[in-house]
Amino acid sequence: MRSAYAGNESPARAESSVGAISHQQNAETFTDGAESRPLQSVGDHSVGVSFADNTLRTSVNSVSAAVGDSVDEPTAEIVSSTPILGPNQGEEVSRPTDDQIIAQENSIRAAEAEKMPFVGTVEPLSALEEEYRQGSFVFREKIRSLEMQYGSMRRTRGDGNCFFRSFMFAFMEKLVQDNDLTERNRVVTCIRQWKAKLIAVGFQELVFEDAMEIVIDQLNSLGTTEPLNVAQLEANMRDAMLSPMIIMLLRMLTSAEIQRRSDFFAPFIMGMCDDEISVEQFCRRYVEPMGEESDHVHIVALTNALQVPIRVVYLDRSVGAAMAGVGYDSAAVNHHDFVPDALSESASAAAAAVKPRVHVLYRPGHYDILYPLPVTAADSTQIASC
Amino acid sequence: MSTQIGHSPTRLAAHSKPAQLPNSTHVDSHAVTKRLQSELMSLMASADPGVSAFPDGDSLFSWLGTIHGAKGTVYEGLSYKLSLKFPTDYPFKAPLVKFETACFHPNVDQYGNICLDILKDKWSAAYSVRTILLSLQSLLGEPNNDSPLNAYAAKLWENQAEYRRVLHKKYSELQK
Repeated sequence: MRSAYAGNESPARAESSVGAISHQQNAETFTDGAESRPLQSVGDHSVGVSFADNTLRTSVNSVSAAVGDSVDEPTAEIVSSTPILGPNQGEEVSRPTDDQIIAQENSIRAAEAEKMPFVGTVEPLSALEEEYRQGSFVFREKIRSLEMQYGSMRRTRGDGNCFFRSFMFAFMEKLVQDNDLTERNRVVTCIRQWKAKLIAVGFQELVFEDAMEIVIDQLNSLGTTEPLNVAQLEANMRDAMLSPMIIMLLRMLTSAEIQRRSDFFAPFIMGMCDDEISVEQFCRRYVEPMGEESDHVHIVALTNALQVPIRVVYLDRSVGAAMAGVGYDSAAVNHHDFVPDALSESASAAAAAVKPRVHVLYRPGHYDILYPLPVTAADSTQIASC
Repeated sequence: MSTQIGHSPTRLAAHSKPAQLPNSTHVDSHAVTKRLQSELMSLMASADPGVSAFPDGDSLFSWLGTIHGAKGTVYEGLSYKLSLKFPTDYPFKAPLVKFETACFHPNVDQYGNICLDILKDKWSAAYSVRTILLSLQSLLGEPNNDSPLNAYAAKLWENQAEYRRVLHKKYSELQK
């Protein structure tokens, strides 16, 4: 368990260093010549290496996912019970066969799907309270404070795509529930306009056209005789093909938004990465690949790309609001509103006047969906803005 | 009946389809073949100099490609065959790409395995056969000597004249 963490801690970076180790290891294996090769046959060699690499990565993913899912809470199981190669074992001489690796990958996938689908079901916030039953006092107090604002939550799988998946599910679910055709029309037009913008920053049309069509078709079913419903949305978002398709599109939109406004994003990106990295390289390495975790930069970009205001509520151990001592309750929960530039500029009032469409709960390394309680005047003073 | 939007990533004739339970462990291969067909058409339509690829036999999941060394690099005038094997969950997972022609290069091993981040942990669905081939073509002339698979080639790279001599010697031995 992590004893201390920073809000921006990114398991994705840790993952790349493991990748580097495995490359190194491959390099040694190869340059030593055929005699010392641990694999069975020349024909199988490349497959073995490639999968060994993936397996290592998968195992790291599932460990970090498990950690992400269970940040700081002692009641949950930290390490997956599926027998997986740990990063350390992976460096040892004996390697499993390809069949074993593939079987293992499949069993990991199946076990994860069973344990946690891409998106879960709606749960009362008391489930969160239960999770932290033996956790720190600060967490328990914060959850109680959260219950003043939010009635329920929906968990997402901790696979590095959780922000995008939480965002899209929550956004579409609200459209479906409200049958909000005005917002639907706006976002469909917005997505269609991205086609030319994606091509302009260098994406081939064939890499996004199917995903764009899928998202638009789902949206366009609203207002027809057979509109998308929440059950169907759940099924789609849990589907092994549709779910990654949708996330892929969001990742590309985010990447394109960052690249289109690289002057604005460059300083943030320089601040996040140790090595010198161009905005384009950042997008290629940390935005577009599936499983790369989302940071502030990603959220700012996505909120602007789709013009959807997002509220991120932070559940961590910080007691900043209490320290500030401006009358907030000691367990006040911090949140941050991501407001699209166009909306914050057009609204003559403060940006705070823009009502978030999507609420997500952030626990270090992971995002889940939050459902606000029906708004009453008293509620708005409970959460301290950060 | 609820609308099934899914399993038909082409135009949604889905509205008329009966609802099916989504299968979370199986990936619909139709979407993959459609994507691969689009990739093939785009490759054939594009006039990228020095790269080409085509399905190897009847399967769309196994292709053979060719790249020519870029002008102005030590690889100019040499051409290399590659195999590309696509997983059933392509493009969410990278294809397995190997040099079929032995390639003397810092980031290629003696079996044709390639060390390139976009084919491994930095793969994304934004890449395609075309961008893979172009990336490999530029990798030929711009190796990453920090993480070599062929340490000898990496060391030799500093001396371009000697590198060219060894490279061309090895290449011509292949032709015999």
